Amino acid sequence: MKRHLPESELARDERFRRNKIEDQIFDPRNLALAERDLGPAQMAVDRPAISERSRSLMHGIFVGEIQALEGAGRTCFDFDEADAPFALKLDMARQCWDESRHVEISCKLADHMGSDIGEYGESTFLYAAACNPDPVMRLCGVNRALEGLAIDVFSSMKAFGESTQDPVLTYCEDWMLADEVTHVKMGSDWLRRLTENDLERRDRALDFQRTVDKVFSLGGFRGESEENPVQITRRFRELAGFTEAECDELAAIAEQAMNEARQMVQLAAASQS
Amino acid sequence: MSTVRAPFAPWDRRELPGLFGVEESARRIGNYRWTEMRLFEALGGWVATVPELDVKMVLGRHCYEHAWHAELFTKRLPELREMNVERQTKPANAEFEAFMAAVVEPEAPELTIEKLVGVYRVLLPRKIAAYTFHMNATSTITDSPTIRSLNFALQDEYSDWREGEMLLQSLIDSTEKLERALARQAALERLMYAAGGVAGPDSIGSQPALQEATV
Repeated sequence: MKRHLPESELARDERFRRNKIEDQIFDPRNLALAERDLGPAQMAVDRPAISERSRSLMHGIFVGEIQALEGAGRTCFDFDEADAPFALKLDMARQCWDESRHVEISCKLADHMGSDIGEYGESTFLYAAACNPDPVMRLCGVNRALEGLAIDVFSSMKAFGESTQDPVLTYCEDWMLADEVTHVKMGSDWLRRLTENDLERRDRALDFQRTVDKVFSLGGFRGESEENPVQITRRFRELAGFTEAECDELAAIAEQAMNEARQMVQLAAASQS
Repeated sequence: MSTVRAPFAPWDRRELPGLFGVEESARRIGNYRWTEMRLFEALGGWVATVPELDVKMVLGRHCYEHAWHAELFTKRLPELREMNVERQTKPANAEFEAFMAAVVEPEAPELTIEKLVGVYRVLLPRKIAAYTFHMNATSTITDSPTIRSLNFALQDEYSDWREGEMLLQSLIDSTEKLERALARQAALERLMYAAGGVAGPDSIGSQPALQEATV
């Protein structure tokens, strides 16, 4: 088996359909949807098409967990101990088990919510962040950016479960949230340890994290306004080692991503008319 | 009223003598650690290469279990006077190293059977055999911390072996797949035969080991 498996070689059964995240974000039809002014985009029981949106999000969580499992697994295999010490690989192996459980949980939750595997497309941009050849960059991309996104998504889904009085959803999201805080903290701790004597490498890793965070903001999917379906969860992020300044920066990145996506959609719509 | 009692209860039949001295126990644990590390790395790497969702999730769980075994052995080695854990972490011999390289080799998504046969039909039975011999052969008093770690590891090995075997039985649903599984097992068994086992030719005991018994 070779080291560093590219995104294109991820193995799936025939139920899965792959799509590109940029096709979703820059879809010109998004503009028409935005112009209808349907009100807040947050996940709430009284919002239009909320059943469909929540099922779609749960399927997104499911495929995201598969990719997080694959990313953690590859970090166990892709590096020598000179680049990734045994203790780091042990943490990644533990994360494999956690992500495995999350795949099981989200698979059962998707069924609970009435959808099937493969009902929605899969974008593999999460795994792409796990393909960096530098383990420090990979940790920043996966454990701080990807798992940080998971904190925001699970918090929002837990709140949705509470608002819809769904005890199964609320219960499971809370358990997964506990794991994700652990994973983000793991990333924060390893970033500090591995770059203790190389601050330039730390800066490059944090730059990479900003890039990934911008992609993961998905053109307005995440943020701090009512226009964002998923909210940035400062309390849990701080538990996981994020500073207040880092949370502020993330909020700014998310807002920038939303504005850029709007501009791109407008350009795409203008070019079609 | 007297509280004087015999130091060992009548049901405590542990004995001081064992077949292994400190160095021999450390040597074997170094071989186990090397094997557990190559195994958990491979299981983690394979997760992305298998299309079967149930297999993917099982490999993710087993990956951690074997990493944890390596951690148990990492902690035990310095207690056996091996302060440089990496120095003792090595394959039993070149043949065993070649065996593990062959186990890890399959990558393509259509090779799930080959991946699982190597781990669950060849390697795990050998690990169970070597760990069991170590537990039974070493001193139950002087080396009891090793026995405790091996017991933890064996619990996982038994359940992982069973789970992997059941996955294989469900995947082998044609004579063509059966032939593939048999061919893969035969090829790997030949390599394992040359290596002699996880800890080398005396993995499950041999006459020379008995002659060198220490008290």
